[in-house]
Amino acid sequence: MIKAEHISKSFGDNVVLTDISFELKKGQVLSIIGPSGSGKSTLLRIITQLERADNGTLNIDGDYLFKSNGERAEYTGSKKAREIGLKVGLVFQSFNLFPHYTVLKNITAAQRAVLKRSKEESEEKAIVLLRKMSLEDKAHSYPFELSGGQKQRVSIARALALDPEVLFFDEPTSALDPELTREILKVIRDLSEENMTMAVVTHEMAFAKGISDWAIFMDKGVIVEEGSPAELFDSPKEDRTRRFIKSFEE
Amino acid sequence: MQLLLQLLKGTGVTLEVFSLTLIFSLPLGFVVCAGRMTRILPIRWIVDLYIQIMRGTPLLLQLLFFYFAPFYIFGASLPRFWAAILAFTLNYSAYFAEIYRSGMQAIEVGQYEASKVLGFTKAYTFFHIVLPQVIKNIIPAIGNEVITLVKDTALASTIGVIELFRIAQTASSREFSTIPIFVAGVFYFIMNYVVSKIFDVVEKRMAYYR
Repeated sequence: MIKAEHISKSFGDNVVLTDISFELKKGQVLSIIGPSGSGKSTLLRIITQLERADNGTLNIDGDYLFKSNGERAEYTGSKKAREIGLKVGLVFQSFNLFPHYTVLKNITAAQRAVLKRSKEESEEKAIVLLRKMSLEDKAHSYPFELSGGQKQRVSIARALALDPEVLFFDEPTSALDPELTREILKVIRDLSEENMTMAVVTHEMAFAKGISDWAIFMDKGVIVEEGSPAELFDSPKEDRTRRFIKSFEE
Repeated sequence: MQLLLQLLKGTGVTLEVFSLTLIFSLPLGFVVCAGRMTRILPIRWIVDLYIQIMRGTPLLLQLLFFYFAPFYIFGASLPRFWAAILAFTLNYSAYFAEIYRSGMQAIEVGQYEASKVLGFTKAYTFFHIVLPQVIKNIIPAIGNEVITLVKDTALASTIGVIELFRIAQTASSREFSTIPIFVAGVFYFIMNYVVSKIFDVVEKRMAYYR
């Protein structure tokens, strides 16, 4: 579904990603862990086109978003890039709901404006998703009336409404307290049971271990280690990984 | 009674100056704001300088400039009324542009990012996501500026526009009394009372979200 090869990215002199390669297969869940500033978020932002890669190759569902010509990443045309963009959804740490729209409109706006679905169809879809998120009674509320956990569930529903092939989560629980975190983790777990293809950047180690098919540990812009969750979390090979995982147990 | 009628007539002119200035400067402020935020540097420098001059010099002086300068340069002046409209419009556009800019900058980058990831076009993002929030953000500041404008229109009297203040002044010297000036003050107060009530209503109507 997603195949990344040798992706690199710098902001000025600051190298954020070096030679990042990984693969995410259909129906699988990938978790990406690592300390702050390790480049995890930048990687997601490159895949969702919020940032541009300097070099490397990225294939999403059979189409190349960019291909390396040896020196730098050559991006596909903007029309194709938009098409590819619709295959990936992103859930933000800070929700980024539209405050002037009701919950319902937050979920229907892109369906209507981007996918040209009818009002009825998009609302139907929104209601189904809200029910799934146990938020059907909040359809006509505004974001400011919701708790953080509810906001994040709306933003997940908003992303799912466009039927993405892959859903990315950028620290979806970092702005939430433990109880609300559980709420969101349950939603993500439910999605994985429906074989939704997902990549999750998270600091919730137990969750990452439990949910993922493959795990990546990043530090300072490089993939230090990757493996099955059992390998990576229980018997990491690299000292750096071991120390990082241990720091969560204290 | 005679005096009240005269003052009412002057109020008519004052309201004309006021509304024409708003009609021209509110949209022109958008253009200036775009110039202020553009990446094309020469345009930004020129617009920066324009805003600095408009905000950094007395409005009174600007009025005199737009009335007298054309005479020295082209040998002909604009009619007093239109020179006043020109000066007010250029001055208020600069202030409105700065208000629009602060309103734009208050929009979180996450709003643009969410719009991008959801596939909205740039135009859709601007008109449906950003602009409604900007308008809500700037209503109080615009209200302040509009109230100031009501009072600033009195400055048009310095270049001889026969508006409320000018008429009150003339009546005062004719009758050796300050009463006409105070009555004019009540007129300004009433106009601004109405303006501020209108903005209260608009603010309340936009308070359905935070």
